[in-house]
Amino acid sequence: MKVDYKIPAGETRDLVFVNETNLDWHIIQEEKSVLRIHVLCLSQDDKDAKWQSSLTVEQNGTGCRTELYGMGLLHTSQQSFVHTRVIHNVGGGYSSQVFKFVLDDVAKGSFQGELKIQPDAQQTEAYQTNRNILLSRGAEMITEPQLEIYADDVKASHGATTGQLDESALFYMQQRCIDRETASKLLLQAFFDEVVSTLTDDDQREDITQRIQDIL
Amino acid sequence: MLEIKNLHASIAGKEILKGLNLTVREGEVHAIMGPNGAGKSTLSNVLTGHPAYTVTEGEIWFRGKNLLEMSPEVRAREGIFLSFQYPVEIPGVSMVNFMRTAVNEKRQHEGKDALKATDFLKLMREKKSLVGIDNKLTNRSVNEGFSGGEKKRNEIFQMAMLEPCLSILDETDSGLDIDALRVVAEGVNALKTPKTASIVITHYQRLLDYIVPDFVHVLADGKIVRTEGKELALELEEKGYAFLNE
Repeated sequence: MKVDYKIPAGETRDLVFVNETNLDWHIIQEEKSVLRIHVLCLSQDDKDAKWQSSLTVEQNGTGCRTELYGMGLLHTSQQSFVHTRVIHNVGGGYSSQVFKFVLDDVAKGSFQGELKIQPDAQQTEAYQTNRNILLSRGAEMITEPQLEIYADDVKASHGATTGQLDESALFYMQQRCIDRETASKLLLQAFFDEVVSTLTDDDQREDITQRIQDIL
Repeated sequence: MLEIKNLHASIAGKEILKGLNLTVREGEVHAIMGPNGAGKSTLSNVLTGHPAYTVTEGEIWFRGKNLLEMSPEVRAREGIFLSFQYPVEIPGVSMVNFMRTAVNEKRQHEGKDALKATDFLKLMREKKSLVGIDNKLTNRSVNEGFSGGEKKRNEIFQMAMLEPCLSILDETDSGLDIDALRVVAEGVNALKTPKTASIVITHYQRLLDYIVPDFVHVLADGKIVRTEGKELALELEEKGYAFLNE
């Protein structure tokens, strides 16, 4: 279901979506509002889970802050498709997008991340990162960052990587008595920490940490 | 403790070690010196079971067991410790969590119970003061953002925590100024017991001023070509490895 949502000037919204199968939100931010969204895909049992998340955020007032976080620990034949659009219509705003996925077995994922800075949106700061780890040959991740920057006085960056677990770190840990499986778990928990640590509610952060451990 | 017989090892099909023999007994410190490319780091990688290296011939016995049949983690739990030349940064994994996991894996291997949280923290405190490392380092992720000297000091701290029988120090002196070198060497000496042994791999004599070896070996072209007492290191420092070509 498509949701239209407006954040009034100066207000803050913290939205956390856990295993929402069909997320489709269009959010307008007014002056000096703050938006923090977490999209989390973590299911141990549902082998055919398919998650679609579409988030469009428009900064229509100056001095807004937008933080989008997402993570997925996908296995079996699970799928997660994420589409973000962050549009800076006016200047002096900040946005960051951090999306991290780990895919095992024959899981599939995609991250299509759009960042648009309109001509009037001077002095915008905007960042986007998408990092993915593939644990099997059958897993697949598609990354499509898309930046359109029409203002000249901005700070913007994006980065996308898809790779395997760091072999040198695994060996280092094995040399410290830790077996490969335990070492992998520690590395994957650490990988997600960048997203999990940004959850503001302590209980929720603990719950999500536990879910990650259960799946690992 | 350690017996290496006619060891041949290769990486990516290229033979690096070509019939190396070495015996290390309890209480001994062995220095291994030699020109670049002689196989010094290959030796430490083979002893610890790095997957990129293949042993094509020879045997390694460690405390009566066949080392080559063990996985890297089992070798570590049996008491082999490598102080890495380039310690790896592991962002997001805290030193405390890393060390607790490591120590408890070793204890489990030895048939001991896992340490209680309070006992573990007490052990950390003890070992921290032994090697002169402060909370600033142990409160962070493993090696993340550490300077070269801090990384090496952290290796010695981990060595203190794991109490190995055989420590291999792979170019522990590289990138250290003289003060850091002294601190690291003091840590190593403080951990020395009549039951432990060390293999010190180094390019330079200066580390051996602080960690005094019982034997100095020259490794060249994959073999140990000369073995003498500590005075050999001084001679090498002065005259270099020119004798190899004579």
